[in-house]
Amino acid sequence: MSLTTTPRPPNPMRLQSLSERNESGLFQRRRLHANEPEGQNNTQVPDQLLAGIREMGPQPDINAGASVPGFPLTNGIGSDMSMGIGVCRRCGEGFGQHQQIVNSNGEVWHPQCFVCAQCFQPFPEGIFYEFEGRKYCEHDFHVLFAPCCGKCGEFVVGRVIKALNNSWHPDCFRCQLCAGPLADSGFVKNAGRALCRDCNAKEKARGLGKYVCHKCHSIIEEGHIKYKGEAFHPYHFNCNSCSIELNADAREVNGELYCLRCHDKMGIPICGACRRPIEERVVHALGKAWHVEHFVCAKCEKPFFGTRHYEKKGLAYCEIHYHQLFGNICFTCNSVISGDVFHAFNKAWHVNHFACSICDRKMSQKTKFFEFDLKPVCKFCYDKFPGELKKRLKKAYDEQNKK
Amino acid sequence: MSKLKKYVEESKNTKSPDLEIIDRGVSNLSDNPAFFELSHVTRLTLTHNKLTTIPAAITNLYNLEILNCFNNHIKELPQTISSLAKLKIINVGMNKLSALPRGFGAFPVLEVLDVTYNNLNENSLPANFFHLDSLRALYLGDNDFETIPPEIGKLKNLQILVLRENDLVAIPKEIGELQRLRELHIQGNRLTVLPPEIGNLDLVGSRQAFRGENNPWVTPIADQYQVGVSHVFDYIRTETYKFLYGRHMAADAPPPPKTADKSKKISRLG
Repeated sequence: MSLTTTPRPPNPMRLQSLSERNESGLFQRRRLHANEPEGQNNTQVPDQLLAGIREMGPQPDINAGASVPGFPLTNGIGSDMSMGIGVCRRCGEGFGQHQQIVNSNGEVWHPQCFVCAQCFQPFPEGIFYEFEGRKYCEHDFHVLFAPCCGKCGEFVVGRVIKALNNSWHPDCFRCQLCAGPLADSGFVKNAGRALCRDCNAKEKARGLGKYVCHKCHSIIEEGHIKYKGEAFHPYHFNCNSCSIELNADAREVNGELYCLRCHDKMGIPICGACRRPIEERVVHALGKAWHVEHFVCAKCEKPFFGTRHYEKKGLAYCEIHYHQLFGNICFTCNSVISGDVFHAFNKAWHVNHFACSICDRKMSQKTKFFEFDLKPVCKFCYDKFPGELKKRLKKAYDEQNKK
Repeated sequence: MSKLKKYVEESKNTKSPDLEIIDRGVSNLSDNPAFFELSHVTRLTLTHNKLTTIPAAITNLYNLEILNCFNNHIKELPQTISSLAKLKIINVGMNKLSALPRGFGAFPVLEVLDVTYNNLNENSLPANFFHLDSLRALYLGDNDFETIPPEIGKLKNLQILVLRENDLVAIPKEIGELQRLRELHIQGNRLTVLPPEIGNLDLVGSRQAFRGENNPWVTPIADQYQVGVSHVFDYIRTETYKFLYGRHMAADAPPPPKTADKSKKISRLG
């Protein structure tokens, strides 16, 4: 959207003043405006014809006239001259001999007739605004004709920003994201909001799931690099080592950017799991280096994060799964065996828990034992078994060995 | 009896957590009330004696973790036994049990139950038996089970299940729910087919065991078993087998007759 500025409407009426020494602040402002070049017609354009911002001059037909009863009119006609002047502009009647006359812009009024067209009260401090031939006090003029600011709700006097179907004080019209002033820089409409160009670009990129280059402020269509926490087009930078223009594989090391080739040559360890360089904490295990979060149990795939791991055949396991898989849980006490292990019949025992399953008497490495339902039985107990059971066991044993 | 007294005295003096009275011909514990004051004992081994019963007062030994009464003449266990709150291993194998007492399933931390070589069958188990979900090993070999209740599937921690040399005519499909099972002994029964659900289990490998010989298997299973356990499992996981199994179950053929002669079992004598 473009910003259009229409010429300031000139004041059609000249300031009429009774006393240059008695000006109010508003009076003075009026005078400044009134002194601006004339000769242009009031180019007031209907609001709806302007798209975007329209800058307006001071309110139309703001005039200040002053008539203080009993105060001599310097530029008007004295009361003693009323007879030759004619009739009151409002009531059409003449003036008495000693009646006071209000003279404004070549027209005359009875003081009681020189009032606001809306409230019929005299003009406070003699200041009035004229619009379409009628005069209004400042209050009524604002109520009737002055726009309200879309932000602060106050009347806008002076420059008006017309935008988004509303009027604004120039200072109230700001980017809705960064609050930067928009009155002079222009704005972009984005989802019913007025945004500055930067914010709009960011919003647009965000909507597309894309980054905005922190350098050229345009959307990064594909492949950004992060540098000092901001996203950039890679081609704005060159490798700190070989000066090649960077692509999205570039890496930041100690605040400098390097292409992937140079980066990988810098002696940075490569993770044994993901094959990518490790830039943060390195775990050395199984003869390789690992990202902390990539050094995981081969069974449950949970990272060890520094907790103890167990190695077996080139793989690492957490304590629970190492023992679950490799059986170092004591069959008798069902707890993990940390010291020496006694293996038999697919089971494991603490060395001091390995005993005959029938009489609980301890057995050593050298003790001979029999198998019964994959449990160890000492010779003493086996001999105690009834003959028919021993016969069955022997038969099963023989069949097993035939295979 | 005087021998028992000697052991009681010694245990009282040494406060040893282990009490072993093995092959001493002990026939009665109730004769010696002092025995039930040995509450410091955590392991009680009474293997190869002549006990006919375990007195209800055994619960006074409330620190017991291991109770081993293998090879006695015990015909029944006291109902109170399941209040031994620390008992982890109970071995009452080779006795004359024909039933387990009511409430037997109330042990809170029981891990190993060995009732090998008794006279138990599916009707011998109390209603709450399968509440023993802390069990990791259940030894029911050398008994008289013809079926296994489907509630076996509730024993989620079971790693070892021995059903060797019973009279089983079928295995419940719920065994396939025992995710942690790594030993299954079903040799010497009257089994013809396996439920395809057993294919869910991992019983093939160096850390696992599956024993199924001496069953009247249907020919395809028998053939696969000849080649190896892994072949049996590969086979029962096939759609072909599922179809055959469905047809076999629909045919509802009478189970093979009992062949094992159990009259010489010492659990039957006397």
